[in-house]
Amino acid sequence: MELTLPPRLSAARFRQALQAFEGVVGKGWVLATDEDRDAYSDIYAPGSEKEWPASAALAPGSVEEVQAIVRLANEYKTPLWPTSRGKNLGYGANAPRMPGTIVLDLGRMNRILELDTTLGYCVLEPGVGFFDLYEHLQREKAPLWMSVPGNAWGSVVGNALDHGIGYTPYGLHARNLCGLEVVLPDGGLVRTGMGAMQGNHSWHLFPLSYGPDWTQMFTQSNLGVVTKAGVWLQPAPESSLLLTWDIPNEEDIGWVVDTITPLKLAGVIDQNVFVPSWLGKIVLKGQRRDFWDKPGAIPDSRVQELLKEHELGYWQVQVRLYGDEAINRAKADVLKRAFGKHVAAPPLEETWKTGYPASQYDATLGIPSAVALQMGDWIGGRGGHMGFSPVVPASSQHVLGQLRRSRRIIAEHDVDFYASFTISGRFATNINMLMYDRDNAQQLASIRKLFNALITQTAQAGYAEYRTHLGWMDPVNATFDFNDHAQRRLNERVKDALDPNGILAPGKQGVWPAAYRDLAARRDAT
Amino acid sequence: MARGVPRPGRAAGCDVRQVCFVAAMTMASALAAPPPPPTLTGPLPGPPPYQMRARLPAGDRLAGGKEGAALFSNLCGACHLAGGMGTNLLTKQRVILREPPQSGLLENRQDLTQNYVKIIVRRGRMAMPSLTRVEVTDAELDAIAVYLGKAGP
Repeated sequence: MELTLPPRLSAARFRQALQAFEGVVGKGWVLATDEDRDAYSDIYAPGSEKEWPASAALAPGSVEEVQAIVRLANEYKTPLWPTSRGKNLGYGANAPRMPGTIVLDLGRMNRILELDTTLGYCVLEPGVGFFDLYEHLQREKAPLWMSVPGNAWGSVVGNALDHGIGYTPYGLHARNLCGLEVVLPDGGLVRTGMGAMQGNHSWHLFPLSYGPDWTQMFTQSNLGVVTKAGVWLQPAPESSLLLTWDIPNEEDIGWVVDTITPLKLAGVIDQNVFVPSWLGKIVLKGQRRDFWDKPGAIPDSRVQELLKEHELGYWQVQVRLYGDEAINRAKADVLKRAFGKHVAAPPLEETWKTGYPASQYDATLGIPSAVALQMGDWIGGRGGHMGFSPVVPASSQHVLGQLRRSRRIIAEHDVDFYASFTISGRFATNINMLMYDRDNAQQLASIRKLFNALITQTAQAGYAEYRTHLGWMDPVNATFDFNDHAQRRLNERVKDALDPNGILAPGKQGVWPAAYRDLAARRDAT
Repeated sequence: MARGVPRPGRAAGCDVRQVCFVAAMTMASALAAPPPPPTLTGPLPGPPPYQMRARLPAGDRLAGGKEGAALFSNLCGACHLAGGMGTNLLTKQRVILREPPQSGLLENRQDLTQNYVKIIVRRGRMAMPSLTRVEVTDAELDAIAVYLGKAGP
């Protein structure tokens, strides 16, 4: 990809800046060829990756180098887009929001600094991937489990910072963060929580602070570069019991949620319960043309045939119980009674115990895999996906309302419907997976129109996304409209106070610094 | 009351072939409740190769002279060792091309050139994204290309 300069920066000044950065990280870690720019683009872009072009990438190897880069960026006015490992697939991967921004690739900072098997936490640099941590826990024979997202190719810290979710009792990843070290936009260094005291022993254990706690301020944020993070890990249970129900009908999701939520709130269920619709199983069995060879959405009559042919319910509910075997059994009885009111067939039951082999693809056991990305092959060609991910209250009224609304909007755009609900307690995250061929212009145009319609109509109904692709960060930000977008205005005031030159991740989550605020696409969806 | 969907043989319908061993074990234990503990003989199987990669060779990542096999394992293994998603997709493609399924593992391929390996890593192909020079440096890619490129330069 040819060079796109950062806004309002001359080519000469840009070259000078790169030379200055070479003085910090060395020539080999300033990456600014056309091929480098291609590698820092959104591989799943719903359209041309040139919409979100990076100008270069820098790869520091230490916190001191990050600080030096940030100071130089202020001097040269070169915006930086920090990424941990750049695998934010479906949300923009490692590409920046603002054209010409330099990617600050933290992938080289990949040390596991501490592992405490007694109190169950680790301290990680942002470049540590889920596979790296998993292998470290195995090698150390540490009795600890991670929580992993569906695609575990990326960074443990990066995923938590971007509000990623997993499917174990530790599935709200941002809540596992305890104590961060952060480079501020002026190059200063701060530690959050108890780490604010030099040498404090409780830095990664006490989840609050003396005074305001800034930890969450640095998640989905452009207020700092996280260089170390405490991450809580689950003590490995001695056994686990998995109950699987196939749920026949689409509207059954209502009673499913009303059954699971009270048990989750009461502590019978600990995990985030993932409830995918049938297409989530089919995408791993082949390509779309093996099941339906016409361009429009798979019609309901064919869906019903496929469910029969493949012995699938419309939904699959899997509840995993963790801990002492007798307690798991007792909890399973409670669950079976609750589900038995609605579904006649008993669940499939699968026991796991310490020392037994586990399915290598089971995210509910905290095992990392990138196998979910095989769905990239579903459409054929250069497959990509985006998720439309609103958060709804975990009750049938809201879940069914959301299901019917997104189902209708997606059908109006003649796109296949692939939904999941992850029930996390009082709320559920509804991910509507939209898959496309990146080389099919007509399909891309339809998907983009669809995404706009989903955002607008879902907001009108009173719900918002928890996370979104680069191209829709402004429109989604605009849906948070209480008191004339008071939260955005607060974010902007904080941003301008901490980052007067606007050099850290301009436009991240729709928060723009004064220096580039005119570039926001605030009102109109992309 | 809705009737549940019957599920004869559902565990046998493994999504991905490598889980079949485990699925068969869990299936065996699932049919009776409470399940009898499975009988294990011999050493426990460890994690599959793609979840137990070689460590990244120590030293300056920009310098050459590292072992290609270890670099491939660490830097490509999460997708391209046995059980990884790249292996799964390639196996599917190779079978369609009437090639043996084990040729889905890149380490088993005899027909890859070093140049082809480099081009695919840097430019990507189908589900394979291009990799950055932070993920795989040029020096590392040279060694990996020699390791995989059994058909020559």
